[in-house]
Parts: sequence; C-alpha cells; structure tokens
Amino acid sequence: MSRKALVISPELCIGCRGCQTACKSWNQLPAAKTSNKGTAENPPDLTPNLYNKIRYVEMPSESNPVRWLFVSQRCMHCDDAGCMKICPAPGALFKTKEGAVGFDKEKCIGCKLCVAGCPFNVPRYDEKDKITKCHLCSDRISQGLEPACAKTCPTGAISYGDRDSIMRKTQGTGYQKLYGEADLGGLGVLYAFIDAPKVYGMEESPAIPESIVFWHKVLKPLAYWGIGGAVAASFLHYAVFGPKKDEEVK
Amino acid sequence: MSTMVKKANAFEILNHWVMAVSFIILAVTGYGFLFHLEQLNSIFGNFNAMKNWHNWSGVVFTVSLFFTIFNYLPVSLSFGGDDIGWIFKAGGYFSRKASVPPQDRLNAGQKLLYLIVLLLGTAIAVSGFIIWLMPAAADIRKLILLSHLVHNIGFVLMVTIIPAHIYLATLANPGTFRIMVYGTVPLEWAKKRHAKWVQKMGV
Repeated sequence: MSRKALVISPELCIGCRGCQTACKSWNQLPAAKTSNKGTAENPPDLTPNLYNKIRYVEMPSESNPVRWLFVSQRCMHCDDAGCMKICPAPGALFKTKEGAVGFDKEKCIGCKLCVAGCPFNVPRYDEKDKITKCHLCSDRISQGLEPACAKTCPTGAISYGDRDSIMRKTQGTGYQKLYGEADLGGLGVLYAFIDAPKVYGMEESPAIPESIVFWHKVLKPLAYWGIGGAVAASFLHYAVFGPKKDEEVK
Repeated sequence: MSTMVKKANAFEILNHWVMAVSFIILAVTGYGFLFHLEQLNSIFGNFNAMKNWHNWSGVVFTVSLFFTIFNYLPVSLSFGGDDIGWIFKAGGYFSRKASVPPQDRLNAGQKLLYLIVLLLGTAIAVSGFIIWLMPAAADIRKLILLSHLVHNIGFVLMVTIIPAHIYLATLANPGTFRIMVYGTVPLEWAKKRHAKWVQKMGV
C-alpha cells in the first residue's frame, strides 16, 4: 500500500467550512456553541469534537485590501511523529498501512504526553481523558474512499491521493513551497503555499522537540546500559574483591 | 551470644521497605512504559492498569521519601573530614587491606547515597505529579516536556545507583542486610564500621 496524503492549497479555499461539517458528519461528532469573536474563524480552535478547522488569516495590503487566507488544519500525519515517539502505551497511537496516524482509545492511558510531543498542537483529550484527533478517515481510506473533508471540498483546495503522485500533480500549479515535503520524515498533509509558511500561521521548520529526540537517542539506551552496568560492576567487584569480611574491616 | 546494638527502629525499617517495594514497582512499570514491554500485561493486565500502579506507587514512594528525612537527613548533612577521607579511599572497597576513617551511624557512601536519592526522588516526584495532574493543554507544553526530561534523567540515574546500593548492602557487606529485618547489629560489627556512632552511644 502506498502512502496517502492530502495536499491543501489555501489559495483555492473559499472558507465554506464544508470540510469541517463533513468531518463532523462522518465521525459523528456533536456541534458546539461558539460566540462571535469578531472573526469568521469559528470555532476558534480544534476541540475533542472538532478534528479539522479552517484558520482565517486576514492580510490586508495596499494592492489587495481584502486578502484573506483560509488554511484548513488537522493532524499532519507525520512520518516521524512526535506523538507516537513519546507515547508510553503500545498501540494507542499507530500507523495505518496508508501512513495515517491512527489512535485507539482503549489502549490510550490518558497520560497526555502526546499533546506535548506534537509540533502542531493537534491532539485533544475527550471527557474520558482519551486522545482524539483527525485519523485521516482511516476507516474510509482503508476501503479506497477519500477522507470526508477531501470528498466534500467543492473547489479542490483539499485533494487526496497517493502521496508521490499527488505531489507530482501539484507541481507547476504556482506554489512557492510545498510545505511538509521533507519535514518530520515527510508529512501526510502538505500545503501548497505561495507565501512564507508563517504568513499562513505555520512554523517555518516544524520538528520533534529536542528533549524528546535526546530522550529517545540517549536516555533510553542509558536506561538499560545503566542498570546492566551497575549489576555487571557489582558481580565483577564481588569476583575480584569479594565481600568485606568482618575480620578484614579495620 | 554477642552483644547486639539497635541501628534502626521499627518505623525506619518499615519505611525503608515501603520505599523499596514502591521503587521496584515504579522502576518495573517505568521500563514497561519506556520500552513498551507488553509482557508486563501478564502482571498488571493492561497499560491502563499499569499506569495506575505507577502513579499510586509514586504517591507511596513520595510519602516514604518524606519520612526518610527524619531518619537520614541530619546525619547525612554532617559531612566531615572523616567522610572525605572515606570517599578518597573509596570506602576501602577496592582493597582487602585498606583502612578507612571511623564512621558515623551512616558511612560517607551511605550519606552521599541518601542525599542523591533525596534529590533525585524529589525531582522525579515533582515532575511525575506535573505530568500526571496538569491538563492536556498545548500552552504548558514546555513545562510537560521539561518534566518528562527530568523524570527520565532521574529514572536513568536511579536504576543505575540503586542496584549498586542493593549490592553494597547485601553481598558486599555481610551482616548489613539484617538491619532491614531486625534493626540490630552485633556490637563488634558496629565498632568496626561505625566507630564514631558507637562512641557517641557510649556503649
């Protein structure tokens, strides 16, 4: 199975929020009451019942006083995912054969470390303290269907397909940077940005937090070298010097 | 029958056992989380149950760590010239003939071990409670990541130091382990290893 991906083109997005609605509909997530905060961005943030949303960025300039950018956000389905790296419960977060980062609430132990491990602020916790987030409609894509957001998008701002071929197809469509081509081992959600990522509210070069990399590469090996070394040194000492017998103590 | 002297009272013995058992549960479950040891499911059932064992053993460990303060902190802080002399001779552990300066109720190595355990234990406890009790929110991400790092550095040091402590208190020094059971040692044994303490008791 080849890796699947979404390519999102903010310039094609009209901010209709059909993707938000389709996602809620497929995943049977309830709506939430929100209040007007003086922006069309609504709801203002991902929640346990909102796996994707559109970020509204207003960028008025002299040439274009009404430049609005609509950035569809969700789990980025990293190849090298910080949430999976830090997760202490096997199987709570896992890779599907399509390359999506799925989750299993039964196996989630509610430690919340994935929230700290994610470079994109994606995982949310439900009322039972279990992880929820976009799973790339893994139940749909495993059956050869598109994710609900891509299926419903009326303008082609969200397109879905084999990661390699969809990246090739996007080439020459006028973007300046294909965001996520190589970051974190290559993201499963790519953005065709015509401007700097930070204009769209994205970090220039997202990465797994350094402390997690250090923990993974240094502390984890030390955890068994340390105890192994201490036990081995004890046996070696016992063999070479032996116990301190009472008559030897001065 | 040789004369026995009391080295540890019942409370100290009990507290040390509580700490030891909770530490072992914490270390085993800690390894389980670190390396995804699903074999441990045969003991704990599943990782959700293992998390509860880990967290509540952490509470027990923290309480017992608090009580050690009364048993070991004052003597451990009285670190003097004889203790430094002991350290320079590595406790005489690397020679059959070395003689070391007279020691307190705790020798210099035990004092150092206690101070390290108090420091690491506090760091592990505080960082553990932060990870456990803080909400799932990205704005405290830095704090959680720091706690995760501190918790794991503490873990690595603890699982390296404690096996050495267990070895030194059992195989390496015959006659020491009985303190954890009876609290008493033969006077002659104490005179050789804790001369200053015996002198202070005026036996």
